[in-house]
Amino acid sequence: MLELKPIINALLRSKVGAVLAILQLALTLAIVSNSLSIISERVTYLNKPTGYPEESIITFSVMSFDDKIDANQQLIVDERILKSIPGVIEAVGVSSVPLSGGGSNSGFSLTPEDDGKHTNSGHLYANEQVIRTLGVKLIEGRDFTSGDVLISSEYAKQPDVVIASKAFTDEIFGEGKGLGETIYYGGGPLKVVGIVERMTNAWPRFKNADRLIIFPMVNANGFQDFLVRTDPSLRDEVMKKIESAMLQENPSRVITGIKGLDDVKGKYNSKDLLMLRMLLVLITALVVVTALGIFGLTQFNISKRTKQIGTRRALGARKSAIVRYFVVENLIVCAIGLVLGTVATVFLGQKLMSLYSVPPLEVSYILITALGLIVLCIASVIFPAKKAANISPSIATRSV
Amino acid sequence: MFAHYLDLAWRSLKATPLATSLMALAIAIGIGVTMVSLSVYHMMSADPIPSKSSKLYAVQLQVMDEGQTYHSADDIPFQLTFLDAKNLYQTLNIDKKVAMFKSGFAVHVNNPEVSPMLQTTRLITREFFAMFELSFLYGGVWSQSQADNAAPVAVIDETIAQKLFGRSDVVGESIYLAQRRYQVVGVTKEWQPNVKMYDLNNGAFADAERIFIPFSHAAAYEIDTWGNTNGWKREEINNFTDKMNSEMLWTQFWVELENEKEQQALETQLDNYIQSQQDLGRFNRKTREFSLRNVTEWLEYNNVVSEDNKVMIGLSFMFLAVCLANILGLLLAKFLKRAPDVGVRRALGASKTQVFYQHLVEVALLGFMGGVIGIVFAQLGLWGIRKTSHVYESLATMDVSMLLAAPSIAIVTCILAGLYPAWIVCKTSPAIYLKVQ
Repeated sequence: MLELKPIINALLRSKVGAVLAILQLALTLAIVSNSLSIISERVTYLNKPTGYPEESIITFSVMSFDDKIDANQQLIVDERILKSIPGVIEAVGVSSVPLSGGGSNSGFSLTPEDDGKHTNSGHLYANEQVIRTLGVKLIEGRDFTSGDVLISSEYAKQPDVVIASKAFTDEIFGEGKGLGETIYYGGGPLKVVGIVERMTNAWPRFKNADRLIIFPMVNANGFQDFLVRTDPSLRDEVMKKIESAMLQENPSRVITGIKGLDDVKGKYNSKDLLMLRMLLVLITALVVVTALGIFGLTQFNISKRTKQIGTRRALGARKSAIVRYFVVENLIVCAIGLVLGTVATVFLGQKLMSLYSVPPLEVSYILITALGLIVLCIASVIFPAKKAANISPSIATRSV
Repeated sequence: MFAHYLDLAWRSLKATPLATSLMALAIAIGIGVTMVSLSVYHMMSADPIPSKSSKLYAVQLQVMDEGQTYHSADDIPFQLTFLDAKNLYQTLNIDKKVAMFKSGFAVHVNNPEVSPMLQTTRLITREFFAMFELSFLYGGVWSQSQADNAAPVAVIDETIAQKLFGRSDVVGESIYLAQRRYQVVGVTKEWQPNVKMYDLNNGAFADAERIFIPFSHAAAYEIDTWGNTNGWKREEINNFTDKMNSEMLWTQFWVELENEKEQQALETQLDNYIQSQQDLGRFNRKTREFSLRNVTEWLEYNNVVSEDNKVMIGLSFMFLAVCLANILGLLLAKFLKRAPDVGVRRALGASKTQVFYQHLVEVALLGFMGGVIGIVFAQLGLWGIRKTSHVYESLATMDVSMLLAAPSIAIVTCILAGLYPAWIVCKTSPAIYLKVQ
């Protein structure tokens, strides 16, 4: 029933149009499925939980220029000021801000000897309020007590205990172990008293992003980062009050970078977000252009065969037969395009992978895109084909 | 004749508004997308200092022990130790050299009406201004003896001067960096290279510093870095003096070389320096490694243009190819439809060349229209990029060369797409159509 032979003959006679459509489809498949693969990798990365209630945390920095002030003492005063702002749940001075791209990262080992076997982890210093301020979930052990906290301005001193993320303890001690064990940093022992289910360090994009160790230690200087956890609905209010509250107590300093932890993360991830948006725009535009192209080519094919269609109709062909003819023709073109496209897609995927750090292309993306393109092909042929079916048989008898 | 063809082309385009808009739209979208990624690429890869990019060299030394690796392509650390920067500045026999690092202060003028601000500050040696082509509006650089005595002198740029004093001519005025009073000895013109090539450690596209103070202040006033500090060795560090004498990496060192001869001379000196340090127990690798990279090589080595951007460029051009195939098809359709007209024209004496030429004028016009609309799309896209992050504010823009490139690429693309259809249509034999008429 399918007029395959005449269709193929007709296609072979006007090759250029078909070749162009095939080329477009193949390229579209290659671009869209590779883009989808990159997009999905970025979306997974951007949506990965950090362990923090980012929407209820505020961060900012303070730079003091009065060197007569005892920085460690000032830190305690500042935390008290912040906690007195209505809506603030907890506040803490930290040595660096998670998710910000800036912080400390070092090797920790299982033995005091520096035998070169290190497990890398991000680490930060803060007092006993840090776990509550970060809003992370302690799954084993205990929180810091004020007795754990070492307040010192000597570089080389180190506290006795730490709290680590599960990703770190799993990595260095093995799955599920680590509580009560000792790790060594610069030769000094640190006992793991608590394990947090999940907390991300300063570099979410890195491989060891989930490894973070917190030292109960304060070594404040003129420059200090703060974290403030608030009731999420009151966060904007609190944000507005921070600067004046801090400056009222001690005006010899500058308060900068007051923003939400979600914004900090957004800034760190801006490159990924940009790539995501650009690729989305690209594939949307590409789909529109390809649809327009196939629509245009079908239209042209039909207008070229007006007389032929009229003749067929005059000889008794049903309207549905005419529509079917064009749909089948289009599907043949589509199929060839997709087969060629799959080859191009795999090639492009491999090329991208060899040159850049993109993930390997999964077959599912090719299938999804191919399916989408088939739907697109049918959709863009239906309208012109229906129009063609309406061509009056009398057209066959006219000369032009 | 060209004007006549242009007129014919315009009429032809007007006669088929739907097809014309479809084609113009396709080319415009293609150009829009391509120009967005090209513009960002162009701005990211633009030479930040064209007159000097082959003369200014970043110096790197392989200070790490055997077996230690660094996350650079050749394992050599990006930065130098403070010790090496200081030593090289003192020992290298070369006029144009600069040791530096980034720091920052709360800056104020002891005037309650001007609120203090946090400003990054660069500690540099005097040669910085001439080497990186900063120009002075007022005053000039501090003297060597001022640097040697760690005199509290500073150079600021005009925007800082405006913010603090409301005017630019502020030579002789005092500013405070934290608690220390500095005398302004020079005011520079605003200077923002598109890439912060002299210090890529904290964002290649970060703002340049606007306050400069002598490098000697680091030791004199214990000024710590605001940039990255990379340690590779376990060291006992209890105070700032320990840090200055440590193997931690946190300074930058650049030289300006006029020719090959100067470069060779410097290489010998660097090798000698490492040798002299080896006697003191440092640089204990078997081979003495260092490297000199000029600005262009330095940006390449540091991967300033991101991978994402290169992927985007590639995909955009593939996208443009789809648009090209698309337009080719539509043009073919349109031109063949007009074959009867062409037949008549040919019969009336138009040559094949004339018909061919006329059709190419038409596609070029189409390309021009698409290119102009494409610029609008591109601007829209760039606006979207600027909205994504503040980082892209100066990068996601089109300069004049890109504005001109857009219609050019569009026209070339369209002509490429139009060659085949125009060729087909000019081959039209007059006889067929005359017969039917």
